[in-house]
Amino acid sequence: MENELSIDILSSVQKPARYTGGEFGSIVKDQSKVEATIALAFPDVYEVGMSYLGFKILYHLVNKLEGVQAERVYAVWTDLEAKMRERNIPLRTLETSKKLSDCDIIGFTLQYELSYTNILNMMDLGGVPLFSADRTDDDPFVIVGGPCVFNPEPLADFFDFAVVGEGEELLCEIMEVYKTWKKNGKLGGRKAFLDIVSKIQGVYVPSFYEPEYDAQGLFTGIKKLKEDVQLPVYKRAVRDMNDVDFPTSPIVPFGEIVHDRIMLEVFRGCSRGCRFCHAGMVYRPVRERRPDVLLDLSRKLVDNTGYNEISLVSLSSADYSHLAPLVHKMIQEFKDDRVSVSLPSLRIDSFCVAIAKEVNAVRKSGLTFAPEAGSQKMRDVINKGVTEEDLMNAVQAAFENGWSSVKLYFMIGLPYETDEDVLAIADLAKKVQYKYYQVTGKRGCKVTVSASSFVPKPYTAFQWFGQNQLEEIRRKQFLLKDALKIKNVTFQYHDAKTGIIEAVFARGDRRVGKALYNAWRLGARFDGWSDHFSYDRWLEAINEAGLDKDFYASRDRSQEEAFPWEHVSPGVNRAFLWNEWQKAKAQQLTHDCRRTSCTGCGICQKLGVKIIDYAKEVEG
Amino acid sequence: MKLRLQITKDKDIRFISHLEYVRTLGRAIRRAKLPAAYSEGFNPHLKYSLASALGVGVVSYTEFVEIELAEDMDVEEAALKLSAALPRGIRVLAADSVENNTPALMSVAAGADYRVTLPYVGDLRNAVHAFNSADVITYKKAAPKTKAGFKEIDVKFYIPKISFKQADGNTEFNFSCKITPTGSMKAVDLLNALNESYALGLPVEMADIERLKLYRADRNGKKLPMLSENAWIKK
Repeated sequence: MENELSIDILSSVQKPARYTGGEFGSIVKDQSKVEATIALAFPDVYEVGMSYLGFKILYHLVNKLEGVQAERVYAVWTDLEAKMRERNIPLRTLETSKKLSDCDIIGFTLQYELSYTNILNMMDLGGVPLFSADRTDDDPFVIVGGPCVFNPEPLADFFDFAVVGEGEELLCEIMEVYKTWKKNGKLGGRKAFLDIVSKIQGVYVPSFYEPEYDAQGLFTGIKKLKEDVQLPVYKRAVRDMNDVDFPTSPIVPFGEIVHDRIMLEVFRGCSRGCRFCHAGMVYRPVRERRPDVLLDLSRKLVDNTGYNEISLVSLSSADYSHLAPLVHKMIQEFKDDRVSVSLPSLRIDSFCVAIAKEVNAVRKSGLTFAPEAGSQKMRDVINKGVTEEDLMNAVQAAFENGWSSVKLYFMIGLPYETDEDVLAIADLAKKVQYKYYQVTGKRGCKVTVSASSFVPKPYTAFQWFGQNQLEEIRRKQFLLKDALKIKNVTFQYHDAKTGIIEAVFARGDRRVGKALYNAWRLGARFDGWSDHFSYDRWLEAINEAGLDKDFYASRDRSQEEAFPWEHVSPGVNRAFLWNEWQKAKAQQLTHDCRRTSCTGCGICQKLGVKIIDYAKEVEG
Repeated sequence: MKLRLQITKDKDIRFISHLEYVRTLGRAIRRAKLPAAYSEGFNPHLKYSLASALGVGVVSYTEFVEIELAEDMDVEEAALKLSAALPRGIRVLAADSVENNTPALMSVAAGADYRVTLPYVGDLRNAVHAFNSADVITYKKAAPKTKAGFKEIDVKFYIPKISFKQADGNTEFNFSCKITPTGSMKAVDLLNALNESYALGLPVEMADIERLKLYRADRNGKKLPMLSENAWIKK
């Protein structure tokens, strides 16, 4: 094939196997029987994209459809991009080397705001016109989904439609509709297809809506351009996780990827209600898989992949109702296969330390806990529901069981935070070290403190909050750094600049798409990789677009202000979020609705779904 | 017993590294549920090894993997099971078994045959003649991590003789390359050495390198097959 990646090119780039596919489990159908192709496009490198569970699920489900081929495409690293541009080589899929422009649909996942420039770059390398308005009947449809779809407006000029919420059922429906439309000779052109899909619940077609602004430039609301479109577009949610197919023969890469193990999703959703947490809001309600289903899935996954580790993934796996018996059974079941079980995160209590001891019996690597904030006041502001005593009990259990190093995750730049609250992080680190001394009689406990700078996200209680200015974050980082000059304590933090740009896009409106385009044109790529991120380039891009970063990032919003993302909704009541924002100020807690009473977020009622939790069931 | 299999690294997956190839085999052994032996200790690992490392980008029709089994099994059955558990670019061509105490494949591999194809139409007769009649040709290979910054390769020790043919704008080299317990040399470095010694301007970066055969040798250097004559051969 012409303009393909030739031997000399692939020999000269880093990790060429990223670009050549052929992995065990990858699916290549008889192309004479394929009627529609979708490229599942991940806007980062292969190792990152291949670790994403959402695409493992969709790849599997879509490929089960007759006549439909799902393929994969990842961002190419800058070394290969340079060669491709030099020789005019288009970006192609891994499965059948199809040019992106020859696919029927390209589905980008929106995982992270700073990956948006990669989306534009992949379209451009793939020969796909960037703006949806410029695409003709010969071009593919560009669609988006994933967590950041709950504010799709910064990308609204670039994609044709968004797939809102959980894609298991929705994407398959779309592929079936597409197949029929294509079979009928693409009757009525692109517009007609958009018309058809706009009627499927969970599909948002931005060209059928127009944002409105007042004289001061404040967003005032969205106007329907077609009478019969959904407003708001509510997300799709799977009713029962036991009823949807989970991939048991995922692709097994040749090389090492970020999460190089079996990822078994034990449940979806989390209702702990941390007020900063976007995922906790948009993936509600909690829906567990039954323990027997999980055991059955894990057996198949072990047999089909050859991996030697199963990670029980979810937003807070320690909250799984039958965690201890499940872990016991898995360890028994897979002992002879030499498969270990792991948890991606731990809750702050001694139960979790006991589980960690069991699953991690061999490797005594450090334990990680996320108190998120240093002072009790701040933990109450964010509704973390964890006390210092909880943390001390957890680390005590860890030290009693032989651990000697602990990693603690925090955020700084949270609402209502004072310098005292920031310094409380250092106090906590010291108390953890002292606990080690009390337990073991020895010094030398290693504590790693990691503090990220907070970015307010849509559909959280903090969506009204004006982010701390860059200088303020830097001052707090400096303050903490100084206070953490303690033996055996390591302090990790990132330059706050990326957080500012992330904040602009997290709560941006359709107008910031211009800044995105400018940044890409100025050479922005891989902005999530600190060595590629250029703050000055972003400021230039935002200025050129006639916009003000502070308007989006650091401005406090009023109760009345309409938000440009509210027409695409996870189903949560605005009043619930506002009330949470008020409770944050008053440092009042809101309980987890999972095993007690409803707290009134409104999602179950609006979407006709319910919490599924097996805590009350007798162990089986 | 130890299972010995002749496997491939086909064109489609030529760009996976040796380490990736080894990891892929390990996972395939587990998927195939061969009764493989594991090492002792806290972090047990499968006991298997390859006869020789292959560079990134090099295709091979003749890799050999040796897998120690905890219990005996039929060679053909093992080969078929592993076959089904491998990605498309790795095929099982032959299989054999030996006693556990047999010296490892790695220590018996004595040489490999290569075919290298590249777009080149220049006259090579003099250069190849000169190469074949030279006593010593030394190639200084860049080795940034060493003190000297380079490593001297005695090219003629590993590759005494080369042949070539030309057609359709391409040149094809064929040669055998020695493998010793202390190492071997890469096919691509032969091209580099030829360029350096005879100023040929071969487009090394375009070279399509294929390993055709791997073999043992007797005391006189006579090539012997890696597997016994009783080996199972894929039909």
